[in-house]
Amino acid sequence: MTSLSATDSHAAPEQTRSFWTSDAAKRIAAGVIILLLWEGVVRAFAPAYVAKPTGVIQAIPKVLSDPAFLKAAAQTLTACAEGLVIAIVLGTVIGLAMGRSLFAERFLRHYINGFYAVPMIVVLPLMSLWFGYTSNARLATIVFASLFSIIINVADGAKAVSKDYLEVASSYRSGRLRMMIDIVLPSSTPYFLAGLRLAAGRSLIGAVVAEFFTAIGGIGYFILYNSRTFHHNEAFVGVLLLAAFGLGFELLVAAGTRRYLPWYRRDERN
Amino acid sequence: MYGTVQRTAPFLISIAVGILIWEVAGHYSNAAFLVPFSATLERLWELFHDGALLGQLLDSAILFVTGLTLAILVGMPAGMLLARMRGLRVAIEPYIMIIYATPMVALIPFILSMMGFGFAPKVLVVFLFAVFSVLYNTVEGARSIKPELIEVARSYRSSEWALWRDVLIPYTLPFTMTGIRQAIGRALVGMVAAEFFLSSTGIGQVIMTASQNFDTAGVFASILLIGLIGVGLMRIGTKIENHFARWRN
Repeated sequence: MTSLSATDSHAAPEQTRSFWTSDAAKRIAAGVIILLLWEGVVRAFAPAYVAKPTGVIQAIPKVLSDPAFLKAAAQTLTACAEGLVIAIVLGTVIGLAMGRSLFAERFLRHYINGFYAVPMIVVLPLMSLWFGYTSNARLATIVFASLFSIIINVADGAKAVSKDYLEVASSYRSGRLRMMIDIVLPSSTPYFLAGLRLAAGRSLIGAVVAEFFTAIGGIGYFILYNSRTFHHNEAFVGVLLLAAFGLGFELLVAAGTRRYLPWYRRDERN
Repeated sequence: MYGTVQRTAPFLISIAVGILIWEVAGHYSNAAFLVPFSATLERLWELFHDGALLGQLLDSAILFVTGLTLAILVGMPAGMLLARMRGLRVAIEPYIMIIYATPMVALIPFILSMMGFGFAPKVLVVFLFAVFSVLYNTVEGARSIKPELIEVARSYRSSEWALWRDVLIPYTLPFTMTGIRQAIGRALVGMVAAEFFLSSTGIGQVIMTASQNFDTAGVFASILLIGLIGVGLMRIGTKIENHFARWRN
Protein backbone atom coordinates (compact mmCIF):
# COMPACT_ATOMS: atom_id res chain seq x y z
CA MET A 1 0.00 0.00 0.00
CA THR A 2 1.73 3.13 -1.12
CA SER A 3 0.60 6.43 0.28
CA LEU A 4 -2.28 8.04 -1.53
CA SER A 5 -0.94 11.50 -0.93
CA ALA A 6 2.25 11.06 -2.93
CA THR A 7 2.22 13.44 -5.87
CA ASP A 8 2.74 12.29 -9.43
CA SER A 9 6.10 12.93 -11.00
CA HIS A 10 4.75 13.69 -14.45
CA ALA A 11 2.54 16.48 -13.22
CA ALA A 12 5.32 18.62 -11.81
CA PRO A 13 5.07 21.75 -14.02
CA GLU A 14 1.61 22.57 -12.74
CA GLN A 15 2.86 22.94 -9.20
CA THR A 16 5.41 25.69 -9.63
CA ARG A 17 2.93 28.56 -9.70
CA SER A 18 1.40 30.51 -6.83
CA PHE A 19 -0.14 29.16 -3.65
CA TRP A 20 -3.65 29.43 -5.06
CA THR A 21 -3.06 26.79 -7.68
CA SER A 22 -0.96 24.55 -5.43
CA ASP A 23 -2.02 21.13 -4.19
CA ALA A 24 -2.28 22.38 -0.63
CA ALA A 25 -4.80 25.03 -1.62
CA LYS A 26 -6.88 22.46 -3.49
CA ARG A 27 -6.87 20.17 -0.47
CA ILE A 28 -7.88 22.92 1.91
CA ALA A 29 -10.61 24.02 -0.49
CA ALA A 30 -11.91 20.46 -0.77
CA GLY A 31 -11.90 20.13 3.02
CA VAL A 32 -13.89 23.33 3.42
CA ILE A 33 -16.39 22.22 0.75
CA ILE A 34 -16.83 18.81 2.40
CA LEU A 35 -17.46 20.42 5.80
CA LEU A 36 -19.89 22.97 4.32
CA LEU A 37 -21.80 20.24 2.48
CA TRP A 38 -22.01 18.14 5.63
CA GLU A 39 -23.19 21.08 7.69
CA GLY A 40 -25.71 22.13 5.05
CA VAL A 41 -27.18 18.67 4.50
CA VAL A 42 -27.55 18.00 8.22
CA ARG A 43 -29.15 21.40 8.87
CA ALA A 44 -31.57 21.00 5.98
CA PHE A 45 -32.62 17.36 6.27
CA ALA A 46 -31.55 15.74 9.53
CA PRO A 47 -32.90 15.97 13.09
CA ALA A 48 -31.12 18.33 15.48
CA TYR A 49 -29.15 15.67 17.34
CA VAL A 50 -27.24 14.48 14.27
CA ALA A 51 -23.54 15.37 14.33
CA LYS A 52 -22.48 18.36 12.22
CA PRO A 53 -19.11 20.15 11.98
CA THR A 54 -20.07 23.19 14.07
CA GLY A 55 -21.57 20.95 16.73
CA VAL A 56 -18.54 18.66 16.79
CA ILE A 57 -16.15 21.60 17.08
CA GLN A 58 -18.14 22.95 20.01
CA ALA A 59 -18.11 19.52 21.62
CA ILE A 60 -14.34 19.02 21.32
CA PRO A 61 -13.19 21.14 24.31
CA LYS A 62 -15.99 19.78 26.46
CA VAL A 63 -15.23 16.14 25.65
CA LEU A 64 -11.46 16.48 25.86
CA SER A 65 -11.70 18.00 29.33
CA ASP A 66 -14.09 15.29 30.48
CA PRO A 67 -12.18 12.91 32.81
CA ALA A 68 -14.53 10.06 31.88
CA PHE A 69 -13.55 10.41 28.23
CA LEU A 70 -9.83 10.58 29.02
CA LYS A 71 -10.16 7.47 31.13
CA ALA A 72 -12.03 5.69 28.33
CA ALA A 73 -9.35 6.66 25.81
CA ALA A 74 -6.60 5.44 28.14
CA GLN A 75 -8.42 2.13 28.71
CA THR A 76 -8.82 1.43 24.99
CA LEU A 77 -5.28 2.46 24.13
CA THR A 78 -3.72 0.46 26.97
CA ALA A 79 -5.71 -2.61 25.93
CA CYS A 80 -4.56 -2.18 22.31
CA ALA A 81 -0.94 -1.76 23.39
CA GLU A 82 -1.06 -4.83 25.62
CA GLY A 83 -2.77 -6.89 22.96
CA LEU A 84 -0.27 -5.78 20.32
CA VAL A 85 2.69 -6.68 22.55
CA ILE A 86 1.26 -10.19 23.07
CA ALA A 87 0.52 -10.51 19.36
CA ILE A 88 4.01 -9.27 18.42
CA VAL A 89 5.80 -11.75 20.70
CA LEU A 90 3.62 -14.72 19.74
CA GLY A 91 3.43 -13.70 16.10
CA THR A 92 7.18 -13.25 15.70
CA VAL A 93 7.95 -16.63 17.26
CA ILE A 94 5.32 -18.50 15.23
CA GLY A 95 6.10 -16.53 12.07
CA LEU A 96 9.85 -17.23 12.30
CA ALA A 97 9.14 -20.91 12.90
CA MET A 98 6.87 -21.04 9.86
CA GLY A 99 9.31 -19.15 7.69
CA ARG A 100 12.31 -21.30 8.51
CA SER A 101 10.87 -24.75 9.10
CA LEU A 102 9.01 -26.62 6.40
CA PHE A 103 7.28 -28.78 8.98
CA ALA A 104 5.86 -25.81 10.91
CA GLU A 105 4.89 -24.14 7.64
CA ARG A 106 3.04 -27.20 6.37
CA PHE A 107 1.35 -27.85 9.66
CA LEU A 108 0.28 -24.31 10.51
CA ARG A 109 -0.18 -22.50 7.19
CA HIS A 110 -3.80 -23.57 6.59
CA TYR A 111 -4.80 -22.71 10.11
CA ILE A 112 -3.18 -19.30 10.07
CA ASN A 113 -4.70 -18.42 6.68
CA GLY A 114 -8.02 -19.81 7.85
CA PHE A 115 -8.09 -17.81 11.06
CA TYR A 116 -7.04 -14.73 9.13
CA ALA A 117 -9.99 -15.18 6.78
CA VAL A 118 -12.50 -15.60 9.63
CA PRO A 119 -14.19 -12.26 10.21
CA MET A 120 -12.70 -11.47 13.61
CA ILE A 121 -15.95 -10.12 14.89
CA VAL A 122 -17.53 -13.61 15.07
CA VAL A 123 -15.22 -14.61 17.93
CA LEU A 124 -16.83 -11.99 20.21
CA PRO A 125 -19.55 -14.29 21.56
CA LEU A 126 -16.96 -16.98 22.19
CA MET A 127 -14.62 -14.57 23.96
CA SER A 128 -17.46 -13.35 26.14
CA LEU A 129 -18.36 -16.96 26.96
CA TRP A 130 -14.74 -17.71 27.86
CA PHE A 131 -13.72 -14.55 29.66
CA GLY A 132 -17.07 -13.15 30.73
CA TYR A 133 -18.04 -9.55 30.06
CA THR A 134 -14.66 -8.28 31.24
CA SER A 135 -11.65 -6.46 29.87
CA ASN A 136 -10.00 -9.87 29.35
CA ALA A 137 -12.53 -10.56 26.60
CA ARG A 138 -11.45 -7.30 24.95
CA LEU A 139 -7.78 -8.20 25.28
CA ALA A 140 -8.37 -11.65 23.78
CA THR A 141 -10.31 -10.11 20.88
CA ILE A 142 -7.48 -7.64 20.23
CA VAL A 143 -4.91 -10.45 20.22
CA PHE A 144 -7.07 -12.53 17.86
CA ALA A 145 -7.58 -9.53 15.59
CA SER A 146 -3.90 -8.60 15.34
CA LEU A 147 -1.99 -11.89 15.67
CA PHE A 148 -2.47 -13.45 12.24
CA SER A 149 -1.41 -10.52 10.09
CA ILE A 150 1.86 -10.40 12.07
CA ILE A 151 2.44 -14.16 11.72
CA ILE A 152 1.78 -14.11 7.98
CA ASN A 153 4.09 -11.17 7.34
CA VAL A 154 6.91 -12.38 9.58
CA ALA A 155 6.74 -15.81 7.93
CA ASP A 156 6.94 -14.22 4.48
CA GLY A 157 9.89 -12.12 5.63
CA ALA A 158 11.73 -15.06 7.14
CA LYS A 159 11.23 -16.98 3.90
CA ALA A 160 12.63 -14.16 1.81
CA VAL A 161 15.98 -14.03 3.61
CA SER A 162 18.82 -14.30 1.12
CA LYS A 163 20.35 -17.79 1.10
CA ASP A 164 23.86 -16.33 0.73
CA TYR A 165 23.79 -14.80 4.21
CA LEU A 166 22.66 -18.05 5.78
CA GLU A 167 25.24 -20.08 3.89
CA VAL A 168 28.07 -17.78 4.93
CA ALA A 169 26.89 -17.86 8.54
CA SER A 170 26.59 -21.64 8.63
CA SER A 171 29.97 -22.10 6.97
CA TYR A 172 31.34 -20.18 9.95
CA ARG A 173 29.55 -22.75 12.13
CA SER A 174 26.97 -20.29 13.39
CA GLY A 175 24.20 -21.94 15.44
CA ARG A 176 20.58 -22.07 14.32
CA LEU A 177 19.30 -19.80 17.07
CA ARG A 178 22.12 -17.33 16.52
CA MET A 179 21.27 -17.14 12.79
CA MET A 180 17.62 -16.61 13.65
CA ILE A 181 18.39 -13.65 15.89
CA ASP A 182 21.22 -12.07 13.94
CA ILE A 183 20.17 -12.65 10.33
CA VAL A 184 16.56 -13.75 9.89
CA LEU A 185 15.03 -11.40 12.44
CA PRO A 186 16.67 -8.16 11.23
CA SER A 187 16.17 -8.90 7.55
CA SER A 188 12.48 -9.61 8.00
CA THR A 189 11.90 -6.37 9.90
CA PRO A 190 10.30 -4.54 6.94
CA TYR A 191 7.80 -7.36 6.52
CA PHE A 192 7.18 -7.32 10.24
CA LEU A 193 6.47 -3.58 10.09
CA ALA A 194 4.03 -4.08 7.23
CA GLY A 195 2.28 -6.68 9.36
CA LEU A 196 2.35 -4.42 12.40
CA ARG A 197 0.66 -1.61 10.45
CA LEU A 198 -2.19 -3.93 9.52
CA ALA A 199 -2.30 -5.36 13.02
CA ALA A 200 -2.52 -1.94 14.68
CA GLY A 201 -5.55 -1.02 12.61
CA ARG A 202 -7.17 -4.35 13.29
CA SER A 203 -6.45 -4.09 17.02
CA LEU A 204 -8.36 -0.79 17.21
CA ILE A 205 -11.32 -2.37 15.42
CA GLY A 206 -11.11 -5.36 17.76
CA ALA A 207 -11.13 -3.12 20.81
CA VAL A 208 -14.10 -1.10 19.58
CA VAL A 209 -16.26 -4.09 18.65
CA ALA A 210 -15.42 -5.81 21.94
CA GLU A 211 -16.55 -2.70 23.81
CA PHE A 212 -19.76 -2.53 21.78
CA PHE A 213 -20.43 -6.15 22.50
CA THR A 214 -19.52 -6.44 26.18
CA ALA A 215 -20.23 -2.82 27.20
CA ILE A 216 -16.93 -2.48 29.06
CA GLY A 217 -15.46 1.01 29.41
CA GLY A 218 -13.46 2.54 26.54
CA ILE A 219 -13.78 4.77 23.49
CA GLY A 220 -16.03 2.28 21.75
CA TYR A 221 -18.42 2.24 24.66
CA PHE A 222 -18.19 6.04 24.93
CA ILE A 223 -19.32 6.30 21.30
CA LEU A 224 -22.07 3.74 21.80
CA TYR A 225 -23.40 5.38 24.96
CA ASN A 226 -23.38 8.93 23.61
CA SER A 227 -24.98 8.03 20.31
CA ARG A 228 -27.70 6.08 22.10
CA THR A 229 -28.48 9.09 24.24
CA PHE A 230 -28.52 11.26 21.10
CA HIS A 231 -25.28 13.11 21.89
CA HIS A 232 -23.95 12.55 18.38
CA ASN A 233 -21.56 15.50 18.42
CA GLU A 234 -19.83 14.20 21.54
CA ALA A 235 -19.79 10.65 20.18
CA PHE A 236 -18.21 11.87 16.97
CA VAL A 237 -15.25 13.30 18.89
CA GLY A 238 -14.56 9.68 19.89
CA VAL A 239 -14.59 8.67 16.21
CA LEU A 240 -12.15 11.50 15.43
CA LEU A 241 -9.84 10.26 18.16
CA LEU A 242 -9.95 6.72 16.72
CA ALA A 243 -9.18 8.08 13.25
CA ALA A 244 -6.29 10.09 14.73
CA PHE A 245 -4.88 6.97 16.39
CA GLY A 246 -5.16 4.95 13.20
CA LEU A 247 -3.56 7.66 11.10
CA GLY A 248 -0.95 8.50 13.73
CA PHE A 249 0.22 4.92 13.90
CA GLU A 250 0.47 4.72 10.09
CA LEU A 251 2.62 7.84 10.02
CA LEU A 252 4.74 6.63 12.94
CA VAL A 253 5.54 3.33 11.23
CA ALA A 254 6.20 5.06 7.89
CA ALA A 255 8.55 7.58 9.57
CA GLY A 256 10.25 4.81 11.55
CA THR A 257 10.84 2.82 8.36
CA ARG A 258 12.43 5.81 6.64
CA ARG A 259 14.58 6.70 9.64
CA TYR A 260 15.78 3.30 10.82
CA LEU A 261 15.47 1.10 7.74
CA PRO A 262 16.68 3.45 5.01
CA TRP A 263 17.96 0.46 3.01
CA TYR A 264 14.44 -0.80 2.59
CA ARG A 265 12.62 0.10 -0.63
CA ARG A 266 9.04 -0.95 -0.98
CA ASP A 267 9.30 -1.41 -4.76
CA GLU A 268 12.00 -4.05 -4.41
CA ARG A 269 9.46 -6.46 -3.04
CA ASN A 270 7.73 -6.97 -6.36
CA MET B 1 -1.39 -38.30 -9.68
CA TYR B 2 1.76 -38.44 -7.61
CA GLY B 3 1.92 -34.60 -7.67
CA THR B 4 -1.60 -34.17 -6.29
CA VAL B 5 -0.94 -36.66 -3.50
CA GLN B 6 2.24 -34.88 -2.57
CA ARG B 7 0.51 -31.52 -2.53
CA THR B 8 -2.61 -32.52 -0.65
CA ALA B 9 -1.12 -35.02 1.80
CA PRO B 10 0.47 -32.44 4.16
CA PHE B 11 -2.76 -30.45 4.08
CA LEU B 12 -4.92 -33.46 4.94
CA ILE B 13 -2.54 -34.62 7.65
CA SER B 14 -2.37 -31.18 9.26
CA ILE B 15 -6.18 -30.87 9.21
CA ALA B 16 -6.57 -34.38 10.65
CA VAL B 17 -4.07 -33.69 13.45
CA GLY B 18 -5.78 -30.39 14.21
CA ILE B 19 -9.19 -32.05 14.44
CA LEU B 20 -7.72 -34.78 16.65
CA ILE B 21 -6.23 -32.21 19.05
CA TRP B 22 -9.56 -30.35 19.14
CA GLU B 23 -11.47 -33.59 19.78
CA VAL B 24 -9.19 -34.76 22.61
CA ALA B 25 -8.97 -31.32 24.22
CA GLY B 26 -12.76 -31.04 24.01
CA HIS B 27 -13.29 -34.31 25.84
CA TYR B 28 -11.03 -33.28 28.70
CA SER B 29 -12.33 -29.74 29.24
CA ASN B 30 -15.46 -28.20 30.66
CA ALA B 31 -18.35 -28.35 28.18
CA ALA B 32 -19.14 -24.68 28.74
CA PHE B 33 -15.61 -23.82 27.63
CA LEU B 34 -14.79 -26.11 24.74
CA VAL B 35 -16.79 -28.81 23.01
CA PRO B 36 -15.21 -31.61 20.95
CA PHE B 37 -15.19 -31.46 17.17
CA SER B 38 -17.71 -34.30 16.92
CA ALA B 39 -20.19 -32.48 19.17
CA THR B 40 -19.72 -29.30 17.12
CA LEU B 41 -20.51 -31.15 13.90
CA GLU B 42 -23.51 -32.80 15.52
CA ARG B 43 -24.84 -29.40 16.61
CA LEU B 44 -24.24 -27.98 13.14
CA TRP B 45 -26.24 -30.87 11.67
CA GLU B 46 -29.05 -30.17 14.14
CA LEU B 47 -29.08 -26.49 13.25
CA PHE B 48 -29.37 -27.38 9.58
CA HIS B 49 -32.15 -29.85 10.30
CA ASP B 50 -34.21 -27.33 12.22
CA GLY B 51 -34.54 -25.66 8.85
CA ALA B 52 -33.96 -22.22 10.29
CA LEU B 53 -30.26 -22.10 9.47
CA LEU B 54 -30.67 -22.18 5.68
CA GLY B 55 -33.09 -19.27 5.83
CA GLN B 56 -30.71 -17.31 8.07
CA LEU B 57 -27.83 -18.01 5.70
CA LEU B 58 -29.92 -16.76 2.80
CA ASP B 59 -30.71 -13.54 4.71
CA SER B 60 -27.03 -12.99 5.34
CA ALA B 61 -26.14 -13.75 1.74
CA ILE B 62 -28.65 -11.21 0.41
CA LEU B 63 -27.24 -8.56 2.75
CA PHE B 64 -23.65 -9.39 1.79
CA VAL B 65 -24.25 -9.44 -1.96
CA THR B 66 -26.31 -6.23 -1.97
CA GLY B 67 -23.74 -4.27 0.03
CA LEU B 68 -20.75 -5.60 -1.89
CA THR B 69 -22.38 -5.02 -5.28
CA LEU B 70 -23.20 -1.43 -4.40
CA ALA B 71 -19.64 -0.92 -3.17
CA ILE B 72 -18.20 -2.19 -6.46
CA LEU B 73 -20.68 -0.20 -8.56
CA VAL B 74 -19.77 3.01 -6.72
CA GLY B 75 -16.11 2.43 -5.91
CA MET B 76 -14.91 1.38 -9.35
CA PRO B 77 -16.26 4.23 -11.50
CA ALA B 78 -15.50 6.78 -8.79
CA GLY B 79 -11.92 5.56 -8.58
CA MET B 80 -11.44 5.79 -12.34
CA LEU B 81 -13.03 9.20 -12.48
CA LEU B 82 -10.64 10.41 -9.79
CA ALA B 83 -7.76 8.96 -11.79
CA ARG B 84 -8.79 11.00 -14.86
CA MET B 85 -9.35 14.24 -12.98
CA ARG B 86 -6.03 14.99 -11.38
CA GLY B 87 -7.15 18.20 -9.69
CA LEU B 88 -10.08 16.56 -7.96
CA ARG B 89 -7.98 13.59 -6.95
CA VAL B 90 -5.23 15.69 -5.38
CA ALA B 91 -7.87 17.65 -3.53
CA ILE B 92 -9.77 14.78 -1.95
CA GLU B 93 -7.10 12.07 -1.60
CA PRO B 94 -6.14 13.00 1.97
CA TYR B 95 -9.76 12.75 3.05
CA ILE B 96 -10.21 9.35 1.43
CA MET B 97 -7.12 8.20 3.27
CA ILE B 98 -8.44 9.48 6.59
CA ILE B 99 -11.74 7.66 6.10
CA TYR B 100 -9.89 4.52 4.97
CA ALA B 101 -7.88 4.58 8.23
CA THR B 102 -10.93 5.14 10.43
CA PRO B 103 -12.44 1.98 11.93
CA MET B 104 -15.82 1.85 10.17
CA VAL B 105 -17.37 -0.08 13.06
CA ALA B 106 -17.26 3.13 15.07
CA LEU B 107 -19.94 4.56 12.78
CA ILE B 108 -22.42 1.76 13.44
CA PRO B 109 -24.03 3.39 16.53
CA PHE B 110 -24.68 6.57 14.50
CA ILE B 111 -26.25 4.58 11.68
CA LEU B 112 -28.36 2.72 14.22
CA SER B 113 -29.76 5.80 15.89
CA MET B 114 -30.36 7.65 12.62
CA MET B 115 -31.73 4.86 10.43
CA GLY B 116 -33.08 2.34 12.90
CA PHE B 117 -33.42 -1.39 12.40
CA GLY B 118 -34.41 -1.94 8.76
CA PHE B 119 -32.58 -3.57 5.88
CA ALA B 120 -31.20 -0.28 4.48
CA PRO B 121 -28.95 0.62 7.45
CA LYS B 122 -27.43 -2.85 7.32
CA VAL B 123 -26.69 -2.56 3.63
CA LEU B 124 -25.13 0.82 4.37
CA VAL B 125 -22.81 -0.79 6.93
CA VAL B 126 -21.68 -3.51 4.50
CA PHE B 127 -21.27 -0.90 1.77
CA LEU B 128 -19.16 1.39 3.97
CA PHE B 129 -16.95 -1.49 5.06
CA ALA B 130 -16.29 -2.51 1.46
CA VAL B 131 -16.36 0.59 -0.72
CA PHE B 132 -13.08 2.20 0.29
CA SER B 133 -11.01 -0.89 -0.53
CA VAL B 134 -12.39 -0.83 -4.07
CA LEU B 135 -11.99 2.93 -4.40
CA TYR B 136 -8.49 3.07 -2.93
CA ASN B 137 -7.09 0.26 -5.07
CA THR B 138 -8.75 1.53 -8.25
CA VAL B 139 -7.24 4.98 -7.73
CA GLU B 140 -3.85 3.40 -7.06
CA GLY B 141 -4.12 1.40 -10.29
CA ALA B 142 -5.34 4.25 -12.44
CA ARG B 143 -2.61 6.51 -11.10
CA SER B 144 0.05 4.11 -12.24
CA ILE B 145 -1.04 4.18 -15.90
CA LYS B 146 1.92 5.34 -17.94
CA PRO B 147 1.24 8.87 -19.20
CA GLU B 148 2.68 7.77 -22.55
CA LEU B 149 -0.26 5.41 -23.08
CA ILE B 150 -2.72 8.24 -22.67
CA GLU B 151 -0.60 10.59 -24.77
CA VAL B 152 -0.38 8.11 -27.64
CA ALA B 153 -4.12 7.51 -27.50
CA ARG B 154 -4.68 11.26 -27.49
CA SER B 155 -2.33 11.90 -30.38
CA TYR B 156 -4.39 9.41 -32.42
CA ARG B 157 -7.39 11.58 -31.59
CA SER B 158 -8.90 8.94 -29.36
CA SER B 159 -12.19 10.02 -27.87
CA GLU B 160 -12.65 10.10 -24.10
CA TRP B 161 -14.91 7.05 -24.31
CA ALA B 162 -12.37 5.08 -26.38
CA LEU B 163 -9.65 6.07 -23.93
CA TRP B 164 -11.66 4.62 -21.06
CA ARG B 165 -12.57 1.49 -22.97
CA ASP B 166 -9.12 0.68 -24.37
CA VAL B 167 -6.68 2.09 -21.84
CA LEU B 168 -8.14 3.09 -18.52
CA ILE B 169 -10.47 0.18 -17.74
CA PRO B 170 -8.24 -2.68 -18.96
CA TYR B 171 -5.24 -1.20 -17.18
CA THR B 172 -7.01 -0.57 -13.89
CA LEU B 173 -9.08 -3.74 -13.71
CA PRO B 174 -6.40 -5.95 -12.07
CA PHE B 175 -5.94 -3.35 -9.34
CA THR B 176 -9.69 -3.08 -8.85
CA MET B 177 -9.79 -6.85 -8.47
CA THR B 178 -7.25 -6.63 -5.64
CA GLY B 179 -9.58 -4.08 -4.08
CA ILE B 180 -12.56 -6.37 -4.57
CA ARG B 181 -10.69 -9.25 -2.94
CA GLN B 182 -10.04 -7.06 0.11
CA ALA B 183 -13.60 -5.77 -0.02
CA ILE B 184 -15.00 -9.31 0.15
CA GLY B 185 -13.25 -9.84 3.49
CA ARG B 186 -14.30 -6.47 4.83
CA ALA B 187 -17.90 -6.87 3.64
CA LEU B 188 -18.08 -10.16 5.52
CA VAL B 189 -16.98 -8.39 8.72
CA GLY B 190 -19.48 -5.64 7.98
CA MET B 191 -22.24 -8.18 7.46
CA VAL B 192 -21.66 -9.85 10.82
CA ALA B 193 -21.21 -6.47 12.54
CA ALA B 194 -24.51 -5.25 11.08
CA GLU B 195 -26.24 -8.44 12.23
CA PHE B 196 -24.75 -8.15 15.72
CA PHE B 197 -25.23 -4.47 16.40
CA LEU B 198 -28.21 -3.46 14.26
CA SER B 199 -31.27 -5.68 14.12
CA SER B 200 -30.30 -9.25 14.80
CA THR B 201 -30.83 -11.44 11.71
CA GLY B 202 -29.07 -14.04 9.65
CA ILE B 203 -26.05 -16.00 10.72
CA GLY B 204 -25.16 -13.26 13.23
CA GLN B 205 -28.43 -13.95 15.02
CA VAL B 206 -27.66 -17.67 15.11
CA ILE B 207 -24.40 -16.99 16.97
CA MET B 208 -26.01 -14.43 19.27
CA THR B 209 -28.83 -16.79 20.23
CA ALA B 210 -26.39 -19.62 20.88
CA SER B 211 -24.17 -17.44 23.07
CA GLN B 212 -27.11 -16.02 25.02
CA ASN B 213 -28.31 -19.55 25.74
CA PHE B 214 -24.79 -20.59 26.79
CA ASP B 215 -24.99 -23.12 23.96
CA THR B 216 -21.22 -23.47 23.50
CA ALA B 217 -21.63 -26.17 20.85
CA GLY B 218 -23.90 -23.83 18.89
CA VAL B 219 -21.35 -21.01 19.13
CA PHE B 220 -18.58 -23.29 17.88
CA ALA B 221 -20.80 -24.68 15.13
CA SER B 222 -21.72 -21.25 13.78
CA ILE B 223 -18.15 -19.91 14.06
CA LEU B 224 -16.92 -22.97 12.18
CA LEU B 225 -19.55 -22.35 9.52
CA ILE B 226 -18.71 -18.66 9.09
CA GLY B 227 -15.01 -19.53 9.14
CA LEU B 228 -15.47 -21.98 6.28
CA ILE B 229 -17.56 -19.46 4.36
CA GLY B 230 -14.85 -16.83 4.94
CA VAL B 231 -12.11 -19.14 3.70
CA GLY B 232 -14.21 -20.12 0.68
CA LEU B 233 -14.95 -16.51 -0.25
CA MET B 234 -11.26 -15.61 0.14
CA ARG B 235 -10.36 -18.47 -2.22
CA ILE B 236 -12.84 -17.18 -4.79
CA GLY B 237 -11.51 -13.63 -4.36
CA THR B 238 -7.91 -14.74 -4.85
CA LYS B 239 -8.94 -16.79 -7.93
CA ILE B 240 -10.61 -13.76 -9.48
CA GLU B 241 -7.65 -11.56 -8.62
CA ASN B 242 -5.15 -13.99 -10.13
CA HIS B 243 -7.27 -14.40 -13.24
CA PHE B 244 -7.10 -10.69 -13.92
CA ALA B 245 -3.51 -10.33 -12.74
CA ARG B 246 -2.35 -12.28 -15.79
CA TRP B 247 -2.33 -9.20 -17.96
CA ARG B 248 -1.06 -6.92 -15.23
CA ASN B 249 2.52 -6.89 -16.48
